[in-house]
Amino acid sequence: MSYARWFTIYGPSYLNALGWTALTAVLASLGAVVWGCVLLLFRLAGGPWGARGVDAYMQAFRNTPVLLPIYLIYFGFPLIGLPWPAVICGGLALVLQNGAYVSEILRGSFKAIDRVQFDAAKSIGLSPWHTFRKITLPQVLVYSIPSLGNQVVLLLKDTSLLSAITVTELTMQAKLLTEQTGAAYEAFMVVAILYLILVSGTEVLFRVAHRAVRWR
Amino acid sequence: MDTPTFLLLLKGAGVSLLLALAAIACGTLLATALAALAFSRLALVRTFYRLYIYLIRGTPLLVLALLIFYALPALDLRTGPYLAGALVLTLYVGALFAEVFRGAVLAIPRPQWESARSLGLPPLAMLRKVIGPLVVRYALPPYVNVCVMTVKASSVLSIISVWELTFAAREIIERTLAVFTVLGIAAGIYFVICFGLDRVGRRVEHHLMLKGFVGEHV
Repeated sequence: MSYARWFTIYGPSYLNALGWTALTAVLASLGAVVWGCVLLLFRLAGGPWGARGVDAYMQAFRNTPVLLPIYLIYFGFPLIGLPWPAVICGGLALVLQNGAYVSEILRGSFKAIDRVQFDAAKSIGLSPWHTFRKITLPQVLVYSIPSLGNQVVLLLKDTSLLSAITVTELTMQAKLLTEQTGAAYEAFMVVAILYLILVSGTEVLFRVAHRAVRWR
Repeated sequence: MDTPTFLLLLKGAGVSLLLALAAIACGTLLATALAALAFSRLALVRTFYRLYIYLIRGTPLLVLALLIFYALPALDLRTGPYLAGALVLTLYVGALFAEVFRGAVLAIPRPQWESARSLGLPPLAMLRKVIGPLVVRYALPPYVNVCVMTVKASSVLSIISVWELTFAAREIIERTLAVFTVLGIAAGIYFVICFGLDRVGRRVEHHLMLKGFVGEHV
């Protein structure tokens, strides 16, 4: 069967899977950024033990493959009475893993903030929480946009691992089509091209965002 | 957890480590050749380099692995998952290493090139005595990062039925349902390997540090 014909027949069946990939990637990215901010807060406000705890968490996730937390949650949670759907389990694992990286990115940006600003915040009587919310966080997030873009791309690619726990995202769809039609090469080529488009789109999006807020 | 199970995990760790080391060794060779293309005079060659990096970095490792895994039998090469796995890992980390090397070459301060040239060093001597040592020092920290990433990425190969640590862990879980113990130990083993690699990298970095060199961070 020619490639074009194969695609006209089976192309539409990718749409659903594309939606799942995009949805998991977007929600997990948002979750990872929020979790990264919380970890940063722990590091900044948690005293020496807070910093040590966040460090240990980060080292643990940085030095183990993502597949392990994915399996741990997917196979482990039903045993402790939490039979969550596979997407949620996988998404949670991605949030936990990428949150560790995001908090490191945010910490790097935090160092770029001029100390004078914290003196100024104190002198106008802002509480520590308000200083974090109104002064630290907005600047840290804006400085971090390019690195966050890289991290989101990595997360997007890692959603393919969720196919190992039965989530019907793009990679799983290609596997299913391979079993159905025997045309493995075609099935995975389409998926590879779709990922390339998604990745390029994400990169463009973050570049535009970076340009839009750079001078504020 | 009984001893045979633990030994099985250790055996898996050995395979993981072997795969990663093979990919690091071959990937480094591939990356050296690729990085040379990045500095070619021919625009076509530079475009090829950029295309390779774009394609590899824009697709998930798992998709590349599945493509090669299914494509290799289609090309009538009789290989097991191990060779396909090592191949895809090599192609993947080759791209990452190439970017590391390219960045390191670009980081070399311009006066180093100029003074090497003005001393009249022949190109090969310049590469060996001036550029090479600097590239090694600039590249080392990100190089170690990619090495750690390679060990972690090798776990993805379990999905294309390469029997390594993650595959072994999953196999044992399906048999014993001891999810937390088995995955905990597997994670511990990965941690020891990756953290160890990182520490060794730092040791070497410290060892190579150039006293009095005014380039950034080297």
